[in-house]
Amino acid sequence: MLIPRRVKHRKQHHPGRSGQATGGTTVTFGEYGIQAITPAYVTNRQIEAARIAMTRHIKRGGKVWINIYPDRPLTKKPAETRMGSGKGSPEWWIANVKPGRVLFELAGVSDVVAREALTRAIHKLPLKARIIKREEGDA
Amino acid sequence: MAEKKAHKELTNKITAEPRNTFGKGVARKLRAAGKVPAVVYGHGTEPRHLSLPAHDVSLLLRKANAILDLQIEGESQLALVKDVQKDPLRQIIEHIDLIVVRKGERVEVDVAVHLEGEPVSGTVADQDAKSLLVETLAISIPENIVVSVEGLEAGTHIYAKDITLPEGAVLITDPETLVIAISVPAEQDLGEAPEVEAPAAEAEAAAE
Repeated sequence: MLIPRRVKHRKQHHPGRSGQATGGTTVTFGEYGIQAITPAYVTNRQIEAARIAMTRHIKRGGKVWINIYPDRPLTKKPAETRMGSGKGSPEWWIANVKPGRVLFELAGVSDVVAREALTRAIHKLPLKARIIKREEGDA
Repeated sequence: MAEKKAHKELTNKITAEPRNTFGKGVARKLRAAGKVPAVVYGHGTEPRHLSLPAHDVSLLLRKANAILDLQIEGESQLALVKDVQKDPLRQIIEHIDLIVVRKGERVEVDVAVHLEGEPVSGTVADQDAKSLLVETLAISIPENIVVSVEGLEAGTHIYAKDITLPEGAVLITDPETLVIAISVPAEQDLGEAPEVEAPAAEAEAAAE
């Protein structure tokens, strides 16, 4: 599972959820990609579940790229505790995904297999997304 | 009717209107009216600001390195698409940069590399370079460069210098650039290890 090895600060503020993605909005490495339509905090567990769903479907052959990294910690206070006494302990690692961002990419498999694999991956994610194909003009 | 439509797609004639107003407000009004703001420059000419019909332009831009025959106030001007700004969510064209070209001029363009065929069973063709920079005549830019990987074995490397380019094209990219590598795919971690996702993954496998 993706977890940062070392961080400068253990606890952070919640990342901003407004606006659109300003980079990473095109399919760069593979042939097909998953593009977010709504904003979301995607946890490292969700990223891993989506990757497994995809790789299991494509079996051998094909290559998967993960374009997001869960580098932001989210904290949680224990259940049934009174307010105050400082910030809770880190509970999740999340990637702050904004609309337009390409999360995963896939190459080396047929169109039908790629679309089915990416659909299975989308089902593991907490956001609305669509499958996009690489365009001729893209780098 | 179909013949007429096909003919329209083949000719890259676009009627462009000069534009004297600028700014995001004006640009938004143009887009709402079904037009795209654009600028054309190059060869030491003054930049000219234009508005182009959005639908016709989007059809022409489906092809990479499109050459447009702009009709600006009765005069004809050939232009190569240099940059296209797109809205990543709505997938609409927001602005186009065009560069002036002349007939017979040679231009440097990125041409996509397409793979054809299948390597031997159990191997995959890993495409490292998606496009190659080539110099070619402006009026005959190849749509793509097709490379066959049919029957290639693991460990085969295809470099830029090994690729047969379309007639008239000269390679500008470093000839030693790796374009395609045939390899045996590494074992993928399918999550069988007792991790947190394992119960859910097993349930999914059982359901299949």
